[in-house]
Amino acid sequence: MGLQEVAVLGVGTTRFGVYPDKSNIVLAREAGVAALKDAGISFAEVGEAFVGYLFSTPMTGIRAMKEFGLTGLPATHVENASATGLVAFRDAAWAVASGRCDIAMALGFDKMSEAMRGGGRGQGRDSIDNVILPAAYFSLWGMRRMHERGTKPEHFAQIAAKNWNHGALNPFSHRQPDHEVTVEQVLKSRKISEPVTAMMTCPVDDGAACAIVARKDLARKLQPDRPLVGVRASVLQTETYSRGHIFMGPVVGPPSMTRDTGKQAYEEAGLGPEDMDLVLVHDAFANEELEYYELLGFAAEGEAEKLLEEGHTKLGGRIPFNTDGGLIARGHPGGPTGLAQIHELVVQLRGEAGRRQVDGARAGMAQLVGGGSVCAITILQRD
Amino acid sequence: MSEASAERVPVEAGFFTIPDDPSASPQLLGSKCVECGEYFFPRRPICARCLAHGCEDVTLSSRGTLFTYTYVHFPLMNSQRADHGGYGVGQVDLPEGPRIQAVLSGGENDFQIGMEMELELETLRQNKQGQDVVIYRFRPSTDGEA
Ligand SMILES: [Zn+2]
Repeated sequence: MGLQEVAVLGVGTTRFGVYPDKSNIVLAREAGVAALKDAGISFAEVGEAFVGYLFSTPMTGIRAMKEFGLTGLPATHVENASATGLVAFRDAAWAVASGRCDIAMALGFDKMSEAMRGGGRGQGRDSIDNVILPAAYFSLWGMRRMHERGTKPEHFAQIAAKNWNHGALNPFSHRQPDHEVTVEQVLKSRKISEPVTAMMTCPVDDGAACAIVARKDLARKLQPDRPLVGVRASVLQTETYSRGHIFMGPVVGPPSMTRDTGKQAYEEAGLGPEDMDLVLVHDAFANEELEYYELLGFAAEGEAEKLLEEGHTKLGGRIPFNTDGGLIARGHPGGPTGLAQIHELVVQLRGEAGRRQVDGARAGMAQLVGGGSVCAITILQRD
Repeated sequence: MSEASAERVPVEAGFFTIPDDPSASPQLLGSKCVECGEYFFPRRPICARCLAHGCEDVTLSSRGTLFTYTYVHFPLMNSQRADHGGYGVGQVDLPEGPRIQAVLSGGENDFQIGMEMELELETLRQNKQGQDVVIYRFRPSTDGEA
């Protein structure tokens, strides 16, 4: 059996936001119970679990799993920075694809608001790594692109405004503006690091999300009346060496990592960018999304601005990006982020996305980069 | 002229030199692969390019070219100095090959991609022993300086 014989059986997520009164364990239970309910199974049927988070102490994942019952199942902690959720999903999908179990769970949770209360990453030990604000690293991409391509801050603001406005249509989105967010408003928000403004960045979030995968034949039997969403590819890469690689300081990897990982995902899926109906990417900072248009093959080199200007990447366009609001609006707690992307893909491919439904969506892609660095990509397709 | 007489210690050891003469440029401590000749910063015993073991220690050029930069509108993390409204961050390509990501010294409008940059030391704070804790950063080169 291979990955092509695996389907998503159920998904669940909390709305991301700041929840001072809810622990990680409570958030994880809410998302997990929602996914079990959506899958229509009992936790006793889950054969293996992969749990991802960034900001809690060791063992927290195993403790969270106990909320569903103590069945003795093998459970493994997964951590790959921002890409954690998609990596947990990959492990769950392969646990089924390898024949190790029939049903597997990927669960992610985090309370970034608690981690930030400690002062954030900069207040740690003395080190060269610890002085620069994380936003700076993606801003460095943005400034280089403006230099090479003549890109304007308005382009980045247009992406941010689009994703805020997508968030307004998603009940699970942290940011749900009650008015249309404009390019001017994004540009006028507080300066963070050139060319990025506050409204071009993701919020601080708590939350949890969960996906349950199963053998396709089993999924068909359990859910005969529902469109089957199959896993076509779920891949993970670290960086390959090229001259000018930055080793010192927290790094976000060369942009080419997304191109290489995307290429592998398309090859394994037997699909190309022309087959995708929606795409979810790591827009922790708005300028990243513009790069991914090209790196994932949706625009030729130097043509990303044109794709954006012509409105092709918003809902109703040819290839909508971040239909759920992306990291900028839906939110980005850390561990659950990739599983919230899986939630959005599955809901869209089943045709259950309501006001933000992409007409006739049959295939979609989720991409995340994580510091260190890694890139994870999953492609799902409706049968 | 030297501005202070306090002894200078690195924020983290093993990454850069601290010259006795405060007006002299510090240097980054790097490695060169004995097999393929690739240069690296920071030091590493195994070549990331050809995977050969046994890189040799080198010191790297103090000057390079600005590949990209940004200006952060927040105080520098881990610094106790009050004069930081914000700071530049950049990536500088050294002639040997390594690209160095570091804080830049200068104002919001002082940087241009492609300009020549020069390494210097910045004092983050004083430690309990009264020593200046320093980190490296780059500043736009001032040509003609002795
Ligand atoms: Zn070598």
